[in-house]
Amino acid sequence: MILNYLQPLNPLAGLLINIFVQVISYRMLLSSFLLKSVYTGFAAGFIFVTLYEYYVFFTIATPIKQFLSVLIVNLLTYTSLGYCFFHFINLGVTARRVRILIELDESKKGLSMKEILSRYNAKCVVEMRIRRLMSSGQVTYNNGRYYIGSPILLLMAKIIITMKLIILGKKSEFD
Amino acid sequence: MRVLEIGLFLFFLAFLLHLIIWKVRMPKRQTKTILQIFFGVLISGIIFLYIKQPALLKGDFFSFESFIEYFHISIFFTSLTLGYIITYSALEADSPSLVMIMLILDAGPSGLDIGAFTQRLNDDLLVKPRIEDLLRDKLVCMDGEKYLLTPKGNSFVTIITFYRKLINLPLKGG
Repeated sequence: MILNYLQPLNPLAGLLINIFVQVISYRMLLSSFLLKSVYTGFAAGFIFVTLYEYYVFFTIATPIKQFLSVLIVNLLTYTSLGYCFFHFINLGVTARRVRILIELDESKKGLSMKEILSRYNAKCVVEMRIRRLMSSGQVTYNNGRYYIGSPILLLMAKIIITMKLIILGKKSEFD
Repeated sequence: MRVLEIGLFLFFLAFLLHLIIWKVRMPKRQTKTILQIFFGVLISGIIFLYIKQPALLKGDFFSFESFIEYFHISIFFTSLTLGYIITYSALEADSPSLVMIMLILDAGPSGLDIGAFTQRLNDDLLVKPRIEDLLRDKLVCMDGEKYLLTPKGNSFVTIITFYRKLINLPLKGG
């Protein structure tokens, strides 16, 4: 019976396994493949959540309908938490707000707007982003000009713009 | 079965309410308002279910099974809400990478010159609005002309830097 009561905590345990496997795999095996370590961690947690649900199903006499329902809930919960963890990692890599906070943290007396912009500005943002886009193959460079390399990010951009139009009623924050 | 149905129902109800409020008037602190709407719906939904419980009529106010079920609904709902809030933050502010992709797309088959990026994507567009966001969210405050971290901003940086040090990633991204 205790297995039943622990079911709501299963996705949280899955998330802990995800974080643990991601950190260990990145530090020990995949030190230059951050994204692969994220996938490895996510897969480990996903397998744990699924196996736990099957274990409960085979240990306690549970109707199949109830088993499937709890399995879907816990996998959705876990996937959502895994998505949040992925964004937490991504926050430190790409978020401009986080970069500005780190710059302010490093200067104990604070920074003026001019000082912030001398450390981190639009030129830095564009250079870092273009480097990342090119190394991931999203953008290609030929004869001094940039081209779309892969349609994945383009598709994402279109999805985000559509969502912006539905929820915010505009395409850009500056519209 | 109830956890899936009730959890999804409450989530979509909260989402609908959020859309209606956004169409009427866009709040200033959007993420905070989304949190208030979603958790307001969750708490109201749980209270409503609790009152409707037949167990209540029998005087079984604190049935353990009911508590576990509400707890499960809350975890399910909260994880979906957190996922949505993170997605919303990507909608709220324009991502430079996506803007760059759209600029290249708009340039057509002849491609885009690097100069076009720096011309279109300047500090007023990419950096200053994010500093304003930090002020609005009280992660940063002003002391004369200087921007300083608030205790909230400091805790936020501590969490991010702890994780990045843990996996040996360079501290500065962007």
